[in-house]
Amino acid sequence: MATTIDDPLRTGAPRGRSAPASRAGVGPLERQRRRMFWPFTAPALTVYAVLFIAPVGYALWTSLYKWDGMGAMDWRGPQNYILLFRDPRFRTSLVNTLELMVIGGTITFVLSFALTLVLREMRARLFARSVLFFPSLVNGMVFGIAAGFLFSPTGPVNQALKLFGVTTPPKWLSTDNLLPMVLGTLVWTATGYYTSIIMAAVDQIPDYLYEAAELDGAGPFQRFRHITLPCAWDVIAVCAVLWTVSSVKIFELILLYGGSTNAYPPVSSWNTAVYVYTEAFPQGTVPRLGTATAAAMASLVMVTLITVVLRRLLRREPVEY
Amino acid sequence: MRRRNPAAGLASRIGTGAVWLVVAADLLLVLWILLTSLRSGPDILHHAFGLPTSPQTDNYTTALDEGGFARAALNSLLTAGLSSVAAVVLAAPCAYALARRRSRTSSALTMTFAMGLGVPGQVLVVPLFVGLSRVSLTDSDLGLGLVYVGLAMPFTVFLLTGFFSGIPGVLEEAAVLDGAGPVRTFVQVVLPVARGGLVTAFLLQFITAWNETLFALVLTNSQGTITLPVALSSFVAAQQFNGLDFGTMFAGVCIILAPMIALFSWMGSRIIQGMTVGIGK
Repeated sequence: MATTIDDPLRTGAPRGRSAPASRAGVGPLERQRRRMFWPFTAPALTVYAVLFIAPVGYALWTSLYKWDGMGAMDWRGPQNYILLFRDPRFRTSLVNTLELMVIGGTITFVLSFALTLVLREMRARLFARSVLFFPSLVNGMVFGIAAGFLFSPTGPVNQALKLFGVTTPPKWLSTDNLLPMVLGTLVWTATGYYTSIIMAAVDQIPDYLYEAAELDGAGPFQRFRHITLPCAWDVIAVCAVLWTVSSVKIFELILLYGGSTNAYPPVSSWNTAVYVYTEAFPQGTVPRLGTATAAAMASLVMVTLITVVLRRLLRREPVEY
Repeated sequence: MRRRNPAAGLASRIGTGAVWLVVAADLLLVLWILLTSLRSGPDILHHAFGLPTSPQTDNYTTALDEGGFARAALNSLLTAGLSSVAAVVLAAPCAYALARRRSRTSSALTMTFAMGLGVPGQVLVVPLFVGLSRVSLTDSDLGLGLVYVGLAMPFTVFLLTGFFSGIPGVLEEAAVLDGAGPVRTFVQVVLPVARGGLVTAFLLQFITAWNETLFALVLTNSQGTITLPVALSSFVAAQQFNGLDFGTMFAGVCIILAPMIALFSWMGSRIIQGMTVGIGK
């Protein structure tokens, strides 16, 4: 495709040094940039093709077979996907993934905006932002382990509650409560990151807009609604996509939440990533690579669809300032 | 000067208070983890929030020797470090070419790389495991490192393309007019100017690889190859037989946490900028 576009220009020009420079305004720099393009991009492209694009294709192919990873592959066609959606464990995982995405996302974004508003007028805002940002650099297992200790039945949180007269505290780490706990931890760790992104965008908005609005008698919420939101809209749209993608990638936070000493966490807290892991690398049973890759492809399709819809919904005319 | 209604003033005061409360909670959590890792197991169970009466490093010796965290830390450091260097070395020329050449091919390739950002690791984990076992690279840090280089491509190319676009082309023009070839122009003229961006790309990739868990769990399992997240998770899993040893566990947590704290206090603003400004573009 590319070479057919490039070639006429290149072959049409005489080999000499003087003539081509004038043709179509191609200077020596442009010519050099064209010549370097493939040699410069090829190594990265090769690695990307072999270790990234090809595996996605291979996953799609595997998802149409019944396969334990060693024996022969049995053709199943779309059957795997039907089996998948009949599997209550997958349905739970899918619902949990969506729950983390939608509920977690809503809370995180509301909090991030609130924090941006507060931080804007705060002293030592950069220090506060740094501290809030740090959890996004920490492996999720650390929070899982800390929570397992802090919220254990005789753990510090319950002991503290006892001081306040709460004798029957909630069973924090019971099977039913695991997902909300994961969600809370997720929001806690992600808010700082999204706040920092939104803050970086908000800092770009010139002050005179706010001053003008204030002179016109706009309150803080009106200023937020009519200045901050429209000016930072592009970044917010990117953040929404980023959240969608990264919420599906959550894995280690769930795997070890509550410091669970069993091989896997209870099904009620699984998301699709944990489902794929347990199907493909089970302990003691035969791997089911077909359903595992089918589940992975299903979540890829889900992310893609949601991303496309989000981009459509969030598209606005860019605001110039 | 500012006119404020009292309700808004109160709201912002409550907001500020809440922010400081969360900041304090974050700091205390890290401090608590650090202090707890210096206390003995029974002591921790007795008083969760005590100070270490006589700070002891026993937990660390146990973690490093018996828990296998010493070897795991070395594996993590090498795998994350080398794969991040390789990722930046591969991605930089590619990103530069994509940023400088405005053609249909160029934007199509940029799109192809950007689409990789949306692919969750769970899609790649089975194919990469099968593929690497064909070439006997499972349970090997080389295999894991290769996977990290591949996984790094979309973000690193994306980040650096944005970065190179921001560097004006005047210098290159001068170099080309002086007769420098493309490789020389890139290495001697562009790279020195771009050093900041390359360091950021390396840092972000290092942090990602250091914390990566899914592929590490799948692709490494023997004592000699596991990385820190695997060591930590198998230590937690082993506790159902050995009984809970919170001291050692928190020492392990600290070993995985410490380099992140160090990097963040050293180059925090660079890390935040790379992870936020680059995204918004």
